[in-house]
Amino acid sequence: MTADAFLFWFLAIVTLVSGLSVILNSNPIYSALCLAMTMVGVSALFVTLNAYFIAGVQLIVYAGAVMVLFVMVIMLFDLKKDLQTFARGMFTGGVKLASVGLIAGLVVGAIKSAELFTEKVADNPVTTGNGMESTKALGQILFTKYIFGFEALGVLLLVIAVGAVALARSKGGTHEQ
Amino acid sequence: MGMGKDIFEITVNGLKLVVIFLMMVQAVPILVWLERRGSAFIQNRLGPNRVGPLGLMQLLADAVKFLTKENFVPDTAKPLLYYAAPVFALIPGAVAFSAIPMSTPIQIGVFEMFGQSWGPYTFLVQGYDIGVGIVFILGVSSLAAYTLLMAGWGSGNKYSLMGALRASAQTISYELALGLSIVGVIMMYGTFNLTDMTMMQQGPLNFSFMGYTVSSPYLPNWGIFFQPLAALLFFTTTFAESNRLPFDLAEGESELVAGFHTEYGGFKFNMFFIGEYGHMMIASGLMALFFFGGFGIPFVSVVELQEWAAGVTATATGASALVAGLHFLSFMVKFSFFLWVFIWVRWTLPRFRYDQLMDFGWKTLLPWALANTILTAFIIYAASL
Amino acid sequence: MPLGGVIFIVIFIALFGAFLLWVASKTGGKPVYNTIKYEPYECGLPSVEKKDTKVSVKYYLTAILFILFDIEIIFMYPWAISFRDFISTGGGAFVFISMMVFIAIFIFGLFWEVKSKALEWD
Repeated sequence: MTADAFLFWFLAIVTLVSGLSVILNSNPIYSALCLAMTMVGVSALFVTLNAYFIAGVQLIVYAGAVMVLFVMVIMLFDLKKDLQTFARGMFTGGVKLASVGLIAGLVVGAIKSAELFTEKVADNPVTTGNGMESTKALGQILFTKYIFGFEALGVLLLVIAVGAVALARSKGGTHEQ
Repeated sequence: MGMGKDIFEITVNGLKLVVIFLMMVQAVPILVWLERRGSAFIQNRLGPNRVGPLGLMQLLADAVKFLTKENFVPDTAKPLLYYAAPVFALIPGAVAFSAIPMSTPIQIGVFEMFGQSWGPYTFLVQGYDIGVGIVFILGVSSLAAYTLLMAGWGSGNKYSLMGALRASAQTISYELALGLSIVGVIMMYGTFNLTDMTMMQQGPLNFSFMGYTVSSPYLPNWGIFFQPLAALLFFTTTFAESNRLPFDLAEGESELVAGFHTEYGGFKFNMFFIGEYGHMMIASGLMALFFFGGFGIPFVSVVELQEWAAGVTATATGASALVAGLHFLSFMVKFSFFLWVFIWVRWTLPRFRYDQLMDFGWKTLLPWALANTILTAFIIYAASL
Repeated sequence: MPLGGVIFIVIFIALFGAFLLWVASKTGGKPVYNTIKYEPYECGLPSVEKKDTKVSVKYYLTAILFILFDIEIIFMYPWAISFRDFISTGGGAFVFISMMVFIAIFIFGLFWEVKSKALEWD
């Protein structure tokens, strides 16, 4: 086994084990911390694909921002009661099975349709370099071909910010005035 | 894996990483001593001066005291997180600091060992050269928020939890201004790579603007002259990132006992301390690197120094080692200066109130960082016309 | 990128830290159990069991606004790095203006949040 293959398998196992412990842990805080570990593992897997900037973004945005929010919010609200109401019973079991089936169908469908709708460019477009070339290529394509998507994303983020503020101020929060 | 092509290179690179980590850990007691003596100097006191010359043996005495403290876990704590937090506190600082270039590489020629000839090597004076250096350092140091949350929640104490929430809210708020203040720097250098940035700051001040070339032999070609606002914003936000005064709301003693490490004592507390000083070291290293020429010696370019060293020493290995040593000294001078500024500011400014802290981050630093980005983009664009 | 080195140093620090904790637990004095001593620290008062600690929703709001702005800032990085390339290939004005539009949306969002007092701590 080459060093690269060993690294890939090591990272894949770390990522999958932490991903599994997200759903097998009954304590939401440990689950959230394991999810953060999964994000870090995915970031390292991006590095093995030579996608350095994406790996950094995965680390900054997902591991450093989104998961911090999750952990903070779970720590704020004691979720023990909700856990017990949702953990047992025939109805809950049915819902669980249905959601697993739905998600599996979505994943398979996404993989199938990805083959249908995207043209395959090359097997491995970026294999060398220290990350600068691929980041510059990303910038080139983002600010020419996908410029409208980029601007629309700015508007979308603005809408999310407004929505979050509105939700936090609505009645029933912890900060009633 | 990028660690080297044979067993010798891999071993040396691995040892280098360990040495850098141990250097960071060893620097902490010295900095604590410096901080105590420095604060005494600033406040017109004496400071620790009984144990050994100038109180230097105080470091050893502290270490012994930390080791003899009993191992205490409160009843309400979650043992796994309670123990994992101090260990995790060491990781982001050391991993990020290893990516900072501290000198030019050392070239080692062909030599014989164990009846075998070992090929020429190039060893970097840094843990590893990450292509996208800044993004990596930002990403890794953003993981430090987990240390706070793990410690705060794992202690099972409400002061710890409140301290952790405050600290992480503060860290993430200032991370915005931190990330944005670097955009101007990246735009100016046009690279994420930290070594390339250093190389661009060699020699005397020299730039071209709208077709004119401006140069001054009296000033070094440092980033601070191109991005003064970014330097100020960056340095301010790193104070908040490392949870130091005037931003140490996380451990506001009068309100929260000691913040997220209320329940920690002995060596576990010491490890949080190492983590905090690790953030200071990253901040000082990056400050020197972005705005003060990194390992470069003012007015002397790397090539000039290499030519001079080749005349002084006989072998190429010796010359590259001499050049690397001089650059390392230059880096250490700048690095220590910024560490001293950290201590200086701590004993000069009072603590913010929490709403002032948040206002300062969101309503002062963030708009100014945005203004700096727009201004830099405009000037770079105008200069190219 | 030397990923192997990063993983190596992370594992090394984790083991080193665990070793330090183990050494400290061996050299330290024998813990003597005492119910009051092992209570969480509460400034000397009997500790109050927290059932539902009320924490300001501002923490959540700060964190979610941080994520949104962080994503916007991350998008400036590829722009900043390829800005000089765009200028040299003649697309400078277009890229400059498109980023200014993006930053204008950013500033509008920040302005709106300051105006709506979402960032006020009291």
